[in-house]
Amino acid sequence: MKLKQKKPDEEIPTSSMADIAFLLIVYFMVTTTFAATRGLDFALPKDDDTPPIVEKEDSVLIEILPDGTFMVDQKPKQLDEILDYLKPKLEANAKKPVIIKPTPETPYRYMVEVFDVLRQGKDVLELKDEINISIPTQREIESFWF
Amino acid sequence: MRLKRRHEQGSVIPTASMADIAFLLIVFFMVTITFEKDKTQVVLPRTELRFEIPKEVAYISVTSNGQIRVTDGDEMSAPVPNVDDVVTFAANLVAKYPDRAIVLKADADVPYRSVDKILDSLKQAKVELIYLLSEQRTADDEAGG
Repeated sequence: MKLKQKKPDEEIPTSSMADIAFLLIVYFMVTTTFAATRGLDFALPKDDDTPPIVEKEDSVLIEILPDGTFMVDQKPKQLDEILDYLKPKLEANAKKPVIIKPTPETPYRYMVEVFDVLRQGKDVLELKDEINISIPTQREIESFWF
Repeated sequence: MRLKRRHEQGSVIPTASMADIAFLLIVFFMVTITFEKDKTQVVLPRTELRFEIPKEVAYISVTSNGQIRVTDGDEMSAPVPNVDDVVTFAANLVAKYPDRAIVLKADADVPYRSVDKILDSLKQAKVELIYLLSEQRTADDEAGG
């Protein structure tokens, strides 16, 4: 008796390919961490040997204490009061340097907070120029101020 | 005469091209992805102003316990043992890519001392532009202080 031979299926099974591919897509979507790609830009001043010596009296000094209190020209101020305080001074002299000086123990966040507020100062106070922000480093303070 | 009934029309959704579509999507995502050069986990400070950072940048990251990692943007970031090594890194970077900006990715709770040393190193190396990486500040932050 001749048996009818069953022909084996010669096709590669591709029906699950879509499932595999979508699984991969989902896996990559879940594991991708979105990189934070935004921040505040800050142009560093040129490190000349003879930096322009800023008279302390001509500038506004914002000191930041470790607990996050701001001393603007030796007087405690809230973060949202700083721009109001600066307004008359900057209107008289748009180039007046504003110096941010955190203590070494101050958390970095407070320095960024003040910097953020000062950067918005041009629009908030409707000034013609950007505020002249200066963040001297400890070394510069030691070598040029005292 | 009895006619043979016609074959019932197939009611299957054609899925043969599904795999092609899915792989096309995978390829698209693979091509467009930009790999993060620095995967250090930090809590970023929050700011209202945030500007787009260019794609080709160098990174300096500082974690809350003071560990520093650097990358020139070509390779994955590597730890530096000492703050003083940042000067060497920055000087090499400026020599190699004079126009490349540096992104400072420092934890919000890092004592300013470390940041100050890094800024000083960058000034000495004559780096011109840096970015302070930040998260978006929201109304909730204002309320919470």
